Amino acid sequence: MLDNLGTSLKDAVKKLAGKTVIDRAAVEELVRDLQRALLSADVNVKLVMHLSQTIKQRALDEEPPKGMGVREHVLRIVYQELVRMMGSPGEVALEPQTILMAGLQGSGKTTTTAKLARYFQRKGLRVGVICADTFRPGAYDQLKTLCDRISVPCFGDPKEPDALKIVREGLPKYRKLYEVIIIDTQGRHALEENLIEEIVNINEISHAEHRWLVIDAALGQQASEQARRFHEAIGIDGVLVTKMDGTAKGGGALSAVAETQSGIVFIGSGETIDDLERFDPDGFISRLLGM
Amino acid sequence: LLQEKDVEEPLFELEMVLLENDVALPVTDEIIARMRRDLVGRHRKIGASVDDLVVSTLRSALCGVLGEGLDLSRYIREHERPVKILFTGVNGTGKTTTVAKVGQYLQTNGFTVVIGAGDTFRAGAIEQIRTHADRLGIKTIQHQAGADPSAVLFDAVQYAKAHDIDVVLADTAGRFHNRANLMNQLDKIRRVMKPDLVVYVDEAVAGNDAVIRADEFNKAVGTDAVVLTKADMDPKGGAAISVAHTVGKPILFLGTGQGYDDIVPFEPRAVVNELLGDES
Ligand SMILES: Nc1nc2c(ncn2[C@@H]2O[C@H](COP(=O)(O)OP(=O)(O)OP(=O)(O)O)[C@@H](O)[C@H]2O)c(=O)[nH]1
Ligand SMILES: Nc1nc2c(ncn2[C@@H]2O[C@H](COP(=O)(O)OP(=O)(O)OP(=O)(O)O)[C@@H](O)[C@H]2O)c(=O)[nH]1
Ligand SMILES: [K+]
Ligand SMILES: [Mg+2]
Ligand SMILES: [Mg+2]
Repeated sequence: MLDNLGTSLKDAVKKLAGKTVIDRAAVEELVRDLQRALLSADVNVKLVMHLSQTIKQRALDEEPPKGMGVREHVLRIVYQELVRMMGSPGEVALEPQTILMAGLQGSGKTTTTAKLARYFQRKGLRVGVICADTFRPGAYDQLKTLCDRISVPCFGDPKEPDALKIVREGLPKYRKLYEVIIIDTQGRHALEENLIEEIVNINEISHAEHRWLVIDAALGQQASEQARRFHEAIGIDGVLVTKMDGTAKGGGALSAVAETQSGIVFIGSGETIDDLERFDPDGFISRLLGM
Repeated sequence: LLQEKDVEEPLFELEMVLLENDVALPVTDEIIARMRRDLVGRHRKIGASVDDLVVSTLRSALCGVLGEGLDLSRYIREHERPVKILFTGVNGTGKTTTVAKVGQYLQTNGFTVVIGAGDTFRAGAIEQIRTHADRLGIKTIQHQAGADPSAVLFDAVQYAKAHDIDVVLADTAGRFHNRANLMNQLDKIRRVMKPDLVVYVDEAVAGNDAVIRADEFNKAVGTDAVVLTKADMDPKGGAAISVAHTVGKPILFLGTGQGYDDIVPFEPRAVVNELLGDES
């Protein structure tokens, strides 16, 4: 994610090296490079403008702490503001819980549902999965096939058109038998009022502890608006970024994090069940800026 | 005469419009730079506003990038049957759904269709395309999960030839352009089934990566036409401009929802009007 930030920022930062007083032109150039890096990583345009303004202001206003060079000072500000934008990583407790999956069509919910089942299973928890996607052809087959590979039970009925009915039937059953329950849902977007209402209802009857929004790493400027609507509907408390094994930078997911005031919980980086990683923002940005 | 400083402000505003609507940064840069070159030094009629001139210049620049689209029915009428269409693209963009929609579109336009279930990899993929095809009354040629997709699609073509079917629609598994083995597999599919049209499918909500992957797919297996799906999520999706600018091939359809009718032949003016507002 944002990995081209490294080189372009490093170039800009070099120009600050050895300076003892803040050079306005150099800061402006750095901010411009930062803007371009973030924009080509798909961070929300308004967020980028706001962030770069803040960084510029702080770099020009704040005195570097004693003994700190200008270069380190500015880098530290960039780092702090980026960390702030990323939020803290979403919490994952190894305890009984219900997780509701939400997201746009094709974002990777079903695949990630199986990956999460695998994750909790490996941690020694008993996991069950519910297929509340009653719309997409083959949705149950898809989830069931993935779950069979890891011997995780999958509740669902490809002939039942009512997703709420499936959750109402499956959840009490599975709560008696399993500790972690993950509910996969059909894809939907902000403008589909009836589908938004459906997930509001699923959330209400399931009392899920977590409502995680699945975001494709390649999602562009729509990320903020889509996340806003999902957040308003069900209160998103974590973002799952998928398809990080491609070349997309994931700035849309960061924008979704900013919009929902949540954090990135996991990163999906492949099509197989084990391709799931926890997210580490600190190490991530450090690597990003070569610090 | 228009000076650099006259166009600076309106160009900056347009740059923001393009970026906020997912026209990728390098594409935006190029469009704005070309406009600056075209505008500076141009004569301005007395009374005409700079803003209007800038917007109308952008309007025609974007129409130029987007091209005129492609009339699929006409293409099929003008080519030897069966016309073979191969659908490609990264994961989850809407290839399978588009195959179903195009199938219905072609049937409505009087053509016979067979679908090849060329995604033998993803869990549930065969059931998915099969269900769509059954609902639409379209014959599906399928093998087992894990089978060689080239073999499936070869069979689909043979079936079409034996049964005088007009069009073969070949679904494929989603794959990333940076996975050499998967791209080689796609190239093999292309060599075996010899498609008349390779249709690259991406989504209107894709950001900057749209440029990179469109370019890589084009280099690896070629692209003859483009479908942009999920335009209903974001009617202004500038990904159309990013992709068209990158591959320079016509856009066939926009996908506008999950129903079989949610597919519209591409019209450059409509897209530009969404982006910049209707022409006054
Ligand atoms: N390469 C890669 N592919 C992924 C990843 N996550 C999901 N996919 C693929 O993306 C496509 C869509 O994934 P799904 O899990 O079906 O997405 P979904 O959100 O459930 O889709 P709908 O239910 O139709 O809304 C499939 O081809 C998956 O194999 C990932 O991290 N990397
Ligand atoms: N809103 C909307 N959803 C769409 C559109 N086209 C496809 N979808 C949905 O997007 C999801 C993914 O579509 P698929 O057709 O399975 O995508 P794919 O490219 O075949 O996916 P893989 O084979 O896994 O790579 C499904 O839930 C579709 O219903 C569209 O135009 N608008
Ligand atoms: K997608
Ligand atoms: Mg799904
Ligand atoms: Mg498919």
